[in-house]
Amino acid sequence: MHAAIEVKDLEFSYGDIKAVDGVSVEVAKGEILGFLGPNGAGKSTTIKMLTGQLRPDAGSISVLGMTMPEQTVDIQARIGVCFEEKNVYENMSGRENLDFFARLYGIKHKDFDPFLRNVGLIDRADDRVSTYSKGMRQRLMMTRAMINDPEILFLDEPTDGLDPVSARAVRAVIKSEAERGAAVILTTHDMNEADQLSDRVAFINEGRIAALDTPENLKLKHGQRSVRIRSRSGGGVEEQVIALDDAGAGDQIRRAVDVEGLMTIHTEEATLENIFIELTGRGLDA
Amino acid sequence: MTRAWTVMTKDLRMGPRSPLFLFAIILPVALTFLVVGVFGSLFAPSPRLGIVDQGDSAIAAGASELEGIEVTTVSSVATLREMVEENDLDAGLVLSEGFDAALTSGQRPVLSFYIGGESHASNRIILEVTALDLVRAATGAEAPVNVDVLTLGDEEALSIATQMVPLLMIYAVSIAGAFVPAASMVEEKENGAIHSVLVTPTTMREYLAGKSALGVVLAMATAVVTLLLNQAFGTSPLLMLAILLTAAVMMAELGLMAGMYSQDSNMLFALMKGGGILLFYPVVFYIWPNLPQWIAKIAPTYWFLEPAFEVGVRNGGLADVWVSMLIAVAWIGVFALGVRAMSRRFEQRVAINA
Repeated sequence: MHAAIEVKDLEFSYGDIKAVDGVSVEVAKGEILGFLGPNGAGKSTTIKMLTGQLRPDAGSISVLGMTMPEQTVDIQARIGVCFEEKNVYENMSGRENLDFFARLYGIKHKDFDPFLRNVGLIDRADDRVSTYSKGMRQRLMMTRAMINDPEILFLDEPTDGLDPVSARAVRAVIKSEAERGAAVILTTHDMNEADQLSDRVAFINEGRIAALDTPENLKLKHGQRSVRIRSRSGGGVEEQVIALDDAGAGDQIRRAVDVEGLMTIHTEEATLENIFIELTGRGLDA
Repeated sequence: MTRAWTVMTKDLRMGPRSPLFLFAIILPVALTFLVVGVFGSLFAPSPRLGIVDQGDSAIAAGASELEGIEVTTVSSVATLREMVEENDLDAGLVLSEGFDAALTSGQRPVLSFYIGGESHASNRIILEVTALDLVRAATGAEAPVNVDVLTLGDEEALSIATQMVPLLMIYAVSIAGAFVPAASMVEEKENGAIHSVLVTPTTMREYLAGKSALGVVLAMATAVVTLLLNQAFGTSPLLMLAILLTAAVMMAELGLMAGMYSQDSNMLFALMKGGGILLFYPVVFYIWPNLPQWIAKIAPTYWFLEPAFEVGVRNGGLADVWVSMLIAVAWIGVFALGVRAMSRRFEQRVAINA
């Protein structure tokens, strides 16, 4: 049984600049892999190689048991890609966009209504895309990426700039696709989204994978759990942060809450962003 | 190639929603109307003469051999009158039974000659004079005067409208064949749609084939319409279609290269304006034929303009144009190599910019 994606020692350079330097990763069917890293870290270049847009300088790519670049066209027939840029045909309707792309996959006379209904576009399906909002375009792009019932979905910032309702709709679609059995590669800057959706996350920095694990494991390994307690003291507000891993943390917490004027108690755990900074020494927005 | 077809048909179906596409289709036709309206006579067909021959008149036989006059044999006088009244004919001639015999015996038989009230004055004069000339010839009489015809100016000169045909043709094929596919590619680069196409099983080769097919189809269609409107399609339609195909393919190749090279629509417009001079300048040598012709031959477009002009205007045949066509095909080969070389870099560039 093949993994959906098997990548070994992948390398790619833009001239003298090494964008991807020995990336190796496997993604199982039905798994959502969050691909995290700052701009220029090598995420997009890796995705471009996995989707057959760029040829690697070195390393091997196996997708659904087929190899790149020899079987690129066969692979592309079984994957779906949703870009960050809203690259839909604006002078066509939503339905016409889907029909055009379906035909490129060799699919004719497909009923798009279930797809459109699923992302809330059924009422606007025959309107030109130029009249769509940003969120509607994004949802149309998600639908387009799924038009061939892909076994692997590559999603680049799928909820970037969307209103909460659209973002929730897109996340629901991603989850249902994974439940259907599709492997999902999710590239995002949104740490909360990666945390919520991903089965595993890969931190990529300077063309290399700095860490690859489940969000929980990464937090356990690299983060620090704590409790933040705020209370009124005299005329001001006193705040205590107690690390749960410290010896005597229980006693400290009991003492901190056993006061008059207790205001708030928050448990805190390390965020993926904090862990990324700890591991790479740089922020995700860099 | 199914996907190339899908790419092409998508552009054709969506074309009418694009101002540029409409511009490419309409402009050559509009220019044709402008040119023939100012310099020519698009709506001035040959004089049309109807004849009712109630005997077996030699005049009717002579009329049918006339060049430049459209002669129709009509079965009855009533039909002839009706056709003239409704401007289906400019004039009608009734040759009664025994007309020729009466003529040669020195009688003065009645010759009914109907003139359409809506006919062009020039056509009426031509037909009246022609009818009298036919009658005189039937009597065997000599013309009372000798008409000395002198051509003033260049005997070989063509009308200005005819000289403008190459301009109209290259306008049609370059806008439709090169500019439309190039603009479509640039637009898809600018809005990123090309990225979404190239992550489907569609290869760059199929994508470019679809765009070039779009150019070829549009260029052929607009060129055929333009030449027909200008009455410059010639008498060898298959040969003319072959010439137009070379023109369309060459322009589509140039369009692909322009589309691949241009980063955005501003750059494409600048390229078309600058590069267009190199494509268009041979037409100057048709408008001013005294200029040294070798300069025109440097341009690749000359090698389809010349055979098109030869076949369409001078009624030439394959023997007159095969060398030019061969050179045009050679240029197509050179441009094909250019497209191939550029497509590799283009694919890489598209992926990097995705």
